[in-house]
Amino acid sequence: MKNAKWDEGSFKNWASLVFRVGIAVSLALIVIGFIILIYISGFKDIQPLVRLEQIPAAIVISIGILVLLLIPIAQVILSIAFFSMNRNRLFIGISMAVLCLSAISLILALT
Amino acid sequence: MLLCLTTPLNEVNLWVLGGVGLVAGLLGSMLGVGGGFIIVPILSLALNLPIKVAIASSLVAIVANACTAAGIYTKAKLTNIKLGLLLETATIPGAIVGGFAAAFIAPSILSAFVGLALIYVAYTMVTRQHFISTDTQPDDHLHPTEPSNVSNNLSSSLMDSYYDQNLNKVVTYKVAHLPTGLGTSFFAGILSSLLGIGGGIVNVPVMHMVMGVPMKAAIATSIFMIALTAATGAFIYQYYGNIYPFIIAPLTIGIVIGARIGVELTQKVKGLVLRRIFGVLLFLVAILMFLKTVNVL
Repeated sequence: MKNAKWDEGSFKNWASLVFRVGIAVSLALIVIGFIILIYISGFKDIQPLVRLEQIPAAIVISIGILVLLLIPIAQVILSIAFFSMNRNRLFIGISMAVLCLSAISLILALT
Repeated sequence: MLLCLTTPLNEVNLWVLGGVGLVAGLLGSMLGVGGGFIIVPILSLALNLPIKVAIASSLVAIVANACTAAGIYTKAKLTNIKLGLLLETATIPGAIVGGFAAAFIAPSILSAFVGLALIYVAYTMVTRQHFISTDTQPDDHLHPTEPSNVSNNLSSSLMDSYYDQNLNKVVTYKVAHLPTGLGTSFFAGILSSLLGIGGGIVNVPVMHMVMGVPMKAAIATSIFMIALTAATGAFIYQYYGNIYPFIIAPLTIGIVIGARIGVELTQKVKGLVLRRIFGVLLFLVAILMFLKTVNVL
């Protein structure tokens, strides 16, 4: 790893950044959706099923949830990039296997 | 993910959902678990939500909790990303199997077995002397056995180090017993999707006690893994239409705030205290499991 273009410390910093930015974006979307929900329905006990007038809030929250669930997958893609730059074939393979397995569940969720 | 019309649902209080998330985030990030063991019982028992909706909501909230904590742990270089990815090759298939099996297996039977396993692990974590002494003598248990020749290369590449604030030194460690770790990771994946927990209750003790990973690195690596495992489980529950945005939104906001506070507290608490809290919590979860098995809850 001494001659690696991208050392492990930097990789972990990037990984941390992906987590932080991802959670910030998803949380912002969920909070915005939540505020829209409160604006529409008030701060009272709420029916989990989405009513017609609540659809804008549900859409924004759902996008936030999707972004949230994609953060770990983005992390795996980042790992593949790191191991590729360092020509670590073993962990390229391991990361690709993890990505493929995650993709199966993602495809199921979107079908 | 938008319109879910599968189950009739009671109205829920947004403040209560936010509070549940806050407590789960606080405890989850301090102990390297997702917090699902708090969310699922409260959503299903106190708020009367269907168990599958409770599990699905818990899994999404756990992803939020894990990503928040993982961002901090990874920056602190505590996370062994290579080890996490390797173990995920077993955990994700487990999560997929668990997600699909949730529709067919009686949860009460599984709860009983899990309860037994938890009691054993909790007892070991609280009472074993070699386990407790690791705060002051971290290197003593780092190489419990030499890895076999076959896995020597892999074990060497999994070697990692981090700076321990309490010990004021760099801790370097090797990883042992990879096959055992992979096997238990598969089991953790099944449990995660089946019960709506992160899987940290299995991963952390196994990484620490069996694989020789120091407690703080085990917690950080477990948190990294939980994000992927719970996301996989959540995708499977979405396939069955159990994701409700209005339940998840307050839970997620609460859990992210709780997780940030929890991570700050973790860095000020010694590993011994963490392990004892973790052990007591495992006992409590085990009791809940048994009560659920005999339909008391």
